[in-house]
Formats: sequence, C-alpha cells, structure tokens
Amino acid sequence: MASVGTMETLETAAAAAAATAVTTMRVAVDEWGDVAIARHQARRLARQHGVAPRRAGEVAIVVSELASNIVKYGVRGEIAVEVGGSAAGGMTLAVMAHDVGPPIYDLEIAMLDGHDDRGPIDPAVLAQRGGLGTGLGAVSRLADRLEVRQEAGGKLIIATFYRGLPPGA
Amino acid sequence: MATDGEGAIAIEETRLMRIIEALSYASIEDYDSCLSLLRSLGTSDSFSELETAFTIFIEELAEAKRQLREALANTEVANRELAAKLATIEMQQAAIRDLSTPIIEVWSGVICLPVVGIVDSQRSADMTETLLETIIAKQARTAIVDITGIDVMDTKTADHFIKMAKAVRLLGADCIISGINPGIAQTLTHIGVDLTGIRTLRSLRDALQVHLRETEQLHPIRGAEAAS
Repeated sequence: MASVGTMETLETAAAAAAATAVTTMRVAVDEWGDVAIARHQARRLARQHGVAPRRAGEVAIVVSELASNIVKYGVRGEIAVEVGGSAAGGMTLAVMAHDVGPPIYDLEIAMLDGHDDRGPIDPAVLAQRGGLGTGLGAVSRLADRLEVRQEAGGKLIIATFYRGLPPGA
Repeated sequence: MATDGEGAIAIEETRLMRIIEALSYASIEDYDSCLSLLRSLGTSDSFSELETAFTIFIEELAEAKRQLREALANTEVANRELAAKLATIEMQQAAIRDLSTPIIEVWSGVICLPVVGIVDSQRSADMTETLLETIIAKQARTAIVDITGIDVMDTKTADHFIKMAKAVRLLGADCIISGINPGIAQTLTHIGVDLTGIRTLRSLRDALQVHLRETEQLHPIRGAEAAS
C-alpha cells in the first residue's frame, strides 16, 4: 500500500534507496507526444532490467499517468526513472515526476478517484480536460510507495516499486 | 541672405520652402525624395548648418526605419515558421491519437477496436469517446473490443472499460470483449465488476464467428444462400 509523503516516509525512502541508484531514463514532458515517449521508454527500461512483463506494464502505466498529469496540470516538467538496490538486497525502481506547476492543494483528496486536488471533478470539466480523474489513484495502487515533495516553483512526485522486482539491481 | 543688427537672419523663401517640402516628404516616409532635395542645397551659411543637421537627422531616421522594417519582416518569417511547426505537431498528435484507437469496420455493421500497448486512464477515456462516436457514425450493430495485446491495467481503468461496454449497449449495439488474458481477468474479478450483459470471448476470431452465426439466424434466407 502506498503511503503519503510525511517526514517519516521520506526517511524510510532514503534508507530503502541504496547509494547504487542510477538515473537510467530522463524525458522532458510538455505535450502529449512526450507522454507516449516516456511510457514506452519506461517499459523497455524495466524489461531490460529483468522486470516481468506485467510489472513492467505497471511501471509504464505509472509513468504514463504522472506524465499525463504534467501535461494537464504541471505546465511542463520531466520524468526520470532511477534503478537501484534496496538495503535488503532487492531491486528498487523509482519513477520521479518533476514539474513547475502549482502545488497539490490537498494530496489526500487528489488521490481519490474522480477527484482533483480540490474535490470531485465536475463531469463537464472532466470531459473537457480528458481522462477519468483516476490517475494519481492508479499511481498509488500500482506503485509500492508514493511521495510528494512540494517545492518552491514546482513539485516532485516519486513513485517507488520494490515488490515483484527481480532480486538485486 | 542678410543679417541685421539684432542677430536675426533673413533667407530666401525658396530655401525655406525646400525645407518644408523635404519635411512633408519625410512625413510620408518618402526618405529618398526628401534626401535628394536636401542634398541639392549648395549655399554655405549659418542657415545651412541647420539644413545639414536636418539632413543628418533624416538620414538617421531613414536608416532606423529601414532596420525596424527588416526586423519586423524577420519576426514575421520566424512566426510563420513557428506556426507551421505547431501545425505539424498538432497533426502528428492527432495521428498518434488515431493510431492509439484504430477502429476498423471488419464486416458490415461490425466494428473492431484492437487495443494494444499500455492503457492508462487518459487512453481509456479517449477510446470510449472514439468507440461510441464511431458506433453512431457507422451505424454499427456490433462492437468488438479486442484486448489481446493488453496484459495489465489499473483496476479503475478496467472498471471504466466495462462501463464503456455498457455504454455501447445503451446505444443499441452489442459489445463483445475478446482476448481477456489471465491477468486482466483477475483484475476484473478482484474489483468485483458486474459483467452481466457483456459478452466476453476468447479471441477476435471467436467474436466474429459468433456475430456471423447470429446474423444468419436473423436472416435465414441469406444463411441458406451462403450454405448452398
């Protein structure tokens, strides 16, 4: 189950991510074409690191949802994927989505399906904006941990996978 | 030209008229006529200093105007190029969207949407819209959504897929989902969706066969013709 970024989870995240973490993919995102590029690169990368097809597909969905959100809300940003080893010896894969858009007003609400960061999305707004309003919910369901770091002039969302990955990086 | 004791000057009216004429040329931005008029001045006296200063001013103004026009022209060219590039990008994006939801009319009244690659919430929403619009546009009676190429989906997206199938029924068409793999099957049962009224078949081939068999039953004469 994914947890929300508190100080405690940030520390455990830092402990889990070993010093061996390497950025293996970086894609600038500011339009829909970039979303497709990020999605395909992420899947290929996960497969290259020995991740099973289903799990690699889940990584790709998470990348796709986060990249779509950058296009919809974040103005522009980038997606990076880091592959590393956990302290326990397993492989970790972190999807990092950074953008220069406004902060998430309320993360707990934003993670609910059919909601954005302020509350339920009006069907008319949803039709115009596209999608289902379930992106961040999907990210929290598919990844093992979700952290959001609000920063001055933007935000960083880190979705980490460590379950169901091959042993060792 | 004459000078009186008070320091005032008197000049020929023609010289003054020439300056006024030059100024009027300058005001309509005809700098060539303006300057040729000013350069024809020959006399050298205190008034000619004003004439020379005026000439230099006009020359500089003409040059500044020329540079401005050039810069504007360059900007316009750059803008046109940018607009052309943006149009290309928009076209490519539309092409990508079309490719991600290719709807094929496989038989009269039967449309097929083969779903391949990775389906996220955005694609799922786009597909629903395109499929429902195509059913109306092609007056399709059956829509086959083949998801053989999909091995993973978020639960909420899978749920939305089932809702899409129900929306197809609301439009008066049948929706068949074919090629559900074990992973997706588990996702669907896990979230406990209601599958009543939605036919699921193993492959696109099965889906087509079922459709054809039913059409024959509805139109026995055509079926007999086909058999003979």
